[in-house]
Amino acid sequence: MSQFTQQVILGLLLGGVYVAVALGFSLVWGILNIVNLAHGALVIIGAYITWVLFTRLHIDPFLSLPVDALALFVIGYALQRGVINRVIRAPLLFTFLLTFGINLVIVSLLLLIFTGDFRSVTPAYSGSGLHLGSIVIPYIRLGGLAAALLLAGILWVVLNRTRSGTAILAVGADRDAAQLVGVDLRHMYALTFAIGAAFAGVAGGIISTFQSITPTAGDPYTLQAFVVVILGGLGRVSATVAGGLAFGLIEVLGQSAPGLSSSYANAIAFVVLVVVLVVRPRGLLGRLA
Amino acid sequence: MRGRTFAPVLAGLAVLLAACGSSTSGNSPTTGSTLVFGAAVSLTGAQSKEGGLTKQGYDLWLDWINARGGIVVNNVKHPVAIKYEDDQSNANLSATLVQKLITDEKANFILGPYGSAATASDAIVAERNSIPMVEANGAAQSIFSKGYKFTFGVLSPANKYLTGVIDMAATPNPKPTTSAMLTANDNFSVEVAKAVEDYAPSKGMQVVFTKQYPAAAPDVSGLISQAKQKNPDIVMNSGHLAESIAINKAAKQLGLDAKIFAYSVGPSTPDFISALGADANYVYDGSQWTPQVKYKPTFYLSVAEYVKAYKAKFSSSDDPDYHVAESTAACLAFQKAIENAGSLDPSKVRDALASLDVMTFFGQIKFDSRGINTFKPMVVEQIQNGTHYTVYPGDVANGAPKYPTPSWSSR
Amino acid sequence: MSVRRATYLVAGLALAFLVLAPLTSIDAAQQAGLPLLTDKLWFRIATTVAMFVVMASAWNIIGGLTGYASFGNVAFFGLGAYTAGVVVTNLNLPFALALVLAPLVAAAFAVIVGIPLLRLRGHYFAVATLGVGVAVGEVVNNIEPLGAATGLFLPIIRSDLLFFYLMLGAALLAVLTTWVILRTRFGYGLLAIRENEEAAAVIGVNTTFYKVAAFCIAAALTGIAGAIFAQWNSFINQDNAFAISDNVQMILMAVIGGTGTVLGPVAGAISLELIIQTLAGGGSGSVFSQIGLGVLLAVCVIFIPRGVIDFFGGRSRLSLRYFRQTLRETSV
Repeated sequence: MSQFTQQVILGLLLGGVYVAVALGFSLVWGILNIVNLAHGALVIIGAYITWVLFTRLHIDPFLSLPVDALALFVIGYALQRGVINRVIRAPLLFTFLLTFGINLVIVSLLLLIFTGDFRSVTPAYSGSGLHLGSIVIPYIRLGGLAAALLLAGILWVVLNRTRSGTAILAVGADRDAAQLVGVDLRHMYALTFAIGAAFAGVAGGIISTFQSITPTAGDPYTLQAFVVVILGGLGRVSATVAGGLAFGLIEVLGQSAPGLSSSYANAIAFVVLVVVLVVRPRGLLGRLA
Repeated sequence: MRGRTFAPVLAGLAVLLAACGSSTSGNSPTTGSTLVFGAAVSLTGAQSKEGGLTKQGYDLWLDWINARGGIVVNNVKHPVAIKYEDDQSNANLSATLVQKLITDEKANFILGPYGSAATASDAIVAERNSIPMVEANGAAQSIFSKGYKFTFGVLSPANKYLTGVIDMAATPNPKPTTSAMLTANDNFSVEVAKAVEDYAPSKGMQVVFTKQYPAAAPDVSGLISQAKQKNPDIVMNSGHLAESIAINKAAKQLGLDAKIFAYSVGPSTPDFISALGADANYVYDGSQWTPQVKYKPTFYLSVAEYVKAYKAKFSSSDDPDYHVAESTAACLAFQKAIENAGSLDPSKVRDALASLDVMTFFGQIKFDSRGINTFKPMVVEQIQNGTHYTVYPGDVANGAPKYPTPSWSSR
Repeated sequence: MSVRRATYLVAGLALAFLVLAPLTSIDAAQQAGLPLLTDKLWFRIATTVAMFVVMASAWNIIGGLTGYASFGNVAFFGLGAYTAGVVVTNLNLPFALALVLAPLVAAAFAVIVGIPLLRLRGHYFAVATLGVGVAVGEVVNNIEPLGAATGLFLPIIRSDLLFFYLMLGAALLAVLTTWVILRTRFGYGLLAIRENEEAAAVIGVNTTFYKVAAFCIAAALTGIAGAIFAQWNSFINQDNAFAISDNVQMILMAVIGGTGTVLGPVAGAISLELIIQTLAGGGSGSVFSQIGLGVLLAVCVIFIPRGVIDFFGGRSRLSLRYFRQTLRETSV
C-alpha cells in the first residue's frame, strides 16, 4: 500500500512538471490559436539560464526562476511582435510550420552556444527529501510541484483579475470585437505569447534540477504539452492543471503496472489519452460545445 | 647450370622484398592519390555529444597518419582525408548520407556512425555498395548476425558490457546476491540487459527486479522507488548518459542504497562527474577502454601517448573516454588492413579486415566470423573521489574497487 | 495557355523524364550532361522524395480535403512496414504479397481507430491521432515476434531500379487517387465536410462514412509506402518506421505545397525533401544549415502562406504586390 502511495506521489510530482510546461503552451494555443512547436526550445532556454546562473554565480535554481521568466518574456514578446504576428491570421497549420522553423533555429543556436554536452543543476540539497515512514518526497521535486501550482495561480489571477488579462481573454474570445473596443491587437498578441514564453522559461528552470539538459532536451516536452493541454481541455487554467497531474500519474503508474516487465508506459499513457478523448471529446474538464 | 637456375628465384625474391614496403627496399616511397574515408556522424540533434566524441577519435588518427605522409600501400604513400556528413541523429538520413559519401565524395571506405540503429542502416548501405565499413559505436549483436560481409565492429559486443561487473561482484566475501536491472528499450541496451540476466544466476546472483523504460525517459523515479522495494545489492542500468545521471539522482533522492551501482553507458564521460559532483563517486561502469589499460601496442601510439595527444589536440584537461578511443581504433583497423592487403581494392581490404589480428592501444583487434571483435575484454571502471579508476580485471587495474558503496546518508 | 494547363504540362514532362531517365545507360546520361541520373545516390534520394510524395498526398486526403489534421498517419506507415517485415522474414513469403497485405492492414486499422476518433474535431482529433501513432509504435517495440527493440532485418535486394519504380508507382497512385477523388461526388462530400460538417450532413452527406473512407484511403496509400520502405531499407525499428518527425514532415510538405490541391503536396514534398537533403551533411558547418532551413521555413510561411502551388500557378504572379497582399491578409 505504501508503495502505491509512493508511486502516486511521484506521479503527482512529475505531473507538476507537466503542468508547468503546459500552462504557457495552453495559453498561447487557446488565445492565439498557435500550436507552438518551439515551446520545448523556449523551455530549454530557461533551463540553460538557470544552469549558467547556478554554475557561474552559484544562484539557487529556484531563486533563478524569476530571471528565467523575465528573459523569456522579453524573447517571447520580440518573437511574436517581430515574426509570428505576421502570419497570425493564416490557418493553424501555417503557424505550426513557422514555429517548427523557429524551433530549428533556437535548437541550433543553443548547440552553437552550449555544445551538446549534458548539463545538470545539482544543488546541495538535491538528494534530500521528506521521509514519512517508508515514503520519501524529494524536496527538489516538491519545490517543482509547488512552483508549478504557484504559476497556475498567478496565471489565473492575471487572466481574471487584471485589465491586461481581461483584454487577453477578450482577444481570445473574439479578436475583431476586441479590436473594435480599442484593444491594441499587436501588443496583446505579443503580451500573450510573452507570458506563455515566460512560463516556459520557469518550467525549464524546474526541469534543470532533475534532468540533464541538452539543446534537444525540450522536444519531448512539446509533445507532452500538446497532450496535456488536450487531456485537460483547451482554454482553462484549471483544466491544464488537471491534465498535467493526470498525465504524470498515468505515466508513473503505467511504469509500475504489475505483470508488465516491458516498457509499455508510453503506450499506456497514450492509450488512456485516446480513450479519454473518445469518452469526453473536450478533455477531462473541457467545456462541452 | 646452378647459377642459371637460381637467377630467376633471386630476382623474384628481390621483387617480393620491394613489394613488402619501404624499409626493405631502401627507396623512399612516392606519394599517391588521397585516400578518402567517409563518416556520417551526428553533429546536431539528440546525439550530437556522442557524435562529437566519435569525430574526435577519427580526427586524432587523421592527424597522426598524415603527419607520417599517409597509409603506405606497395611503397606508395596515400595521404588520408575524412569526409564528414551530419546525420542530425536521424538513422534514415544517415543511410542516405553514406550513399552520398560513396557516390559524390568518392569515399573509398566508410567509418561508422554513432549508435546501433544508425549503424544497422549504414551497414546495409555498405553491403549494397560492397564498400567495407568499420564501425566503433554500434555494439548491438543483431547487426552482426545477418551475414553482412562488409561491416566490422572493433568494439566488444553489447553482451559483454556489464558481465564484467558481475564477475567483479563475485570476488568479495560475502558477495552481493541480488540485483536489479533497469533497461532502456533500444536494441543495444536490451542486449546488454539480457546478457546480464542470463549470466548473473551462474555467479550466484539473483535478478530480483527487471524493468524496461522508454529510451530517453525524463523521469525514472517511479522505477527507482519500485526497485527500492526489492532491496537489491546491485543496481544496474543499461541505457545512456542522460538516464544514468537521472537514475543516480533519483536513487539518492529516494534513498535507494545498494552495494554496487553500475551503469552501461554514461559514467565514463566527464559529463557524468561534472553533473553529479560527489554523488558520482562509487559508481561503476563497463567500459570498452580506459586510459589506465596496459596493452602493448605493435603500432600507433601507446596508451599514455594517446591520452597526451588527445589532451593536446582538444586542449582538454579531461582524459579521452572510450567513445573516442574506439573510434580511433576503427581507423587503426582500416590502416592495418589496407597495409596488409597491399591494395585499395574494397574486396581485398575486406578480406584483410576479416583476417586482421593486431594489438593496439585499444587492445586486440580481431574479428570473429560475424565481423565483431569478441577478442578484446571489457574493463570495469569506478569513480573514486571524482576520478576514474580501472578496478577490474586485476591485470589492467590501477585501483581496487571501493566496496561496498556506503549508504547515501553516511557520505 | 492557362497557368493550370502549364502546371500539368510541366508535371507530365517531369514524370516522363523520371520514368525514362533511369532506363538510359550511365554513358548516355553523362553524354547528355546529366551525370547524376543513374547513380545509386540519385536513386536513393529520388526514392526518398517519392516516398514523401506518397505520404504527403495521402495526408492531404484526410488533412487537406476533409479538414482532419491527422498526426497519426505515421502509424499506417509503420504498420505497412511491419506487415512487410513479418511477411518476408517471419513467414518467408514473397515481398509482392506484402505489397497487397500492407494497405489492407493499414486500412483495417484506420477503420478501427477512425470510427471513434473521427467524431473528434480539430485539435482534439490531432492529439488523439498523435496518441494512436505513439501508442502503436510503443506496442510494436515490445512485441518479440516483431523484433521488439532490436527491429526487423529484411534480406537485402540490391536493385535500386526496382524500389525507385515501386515508390514512383505508389506516388503516382497517390496523386491519381487525389485527382479522381476531387472529381467525384465523394470528393465534393469531403470538401463539404471540411467547410461545414453540419451543413454537409443536412444536404445528405453520410459524414461518418465519408470521413472513415477518406481515412482508409490515406491509410492504405501510406501503408504501401511503408511496405516498400521496409524492403528497400532492409532494416526497420520503432525509430524509423514510427517516427513522429516523419508525420510532422508530411504535414509540413502538404502545407508548404498547398493543402487541398492535387499537386500541392507533390510540390511540397519534392521541394522540402530536396532542400533537407541538400542542407544535410556538410560536416562541422552543419549547424548553420539547420539554422538556414529554419529561417527558410519562416520566410516561406510569411511570404507565400498559400503554398508553393498557389505561388507559381493559380491567380497570382511573382510580384512584390503578391507578397504585400498575402502579408496584409495574414498579419495584424
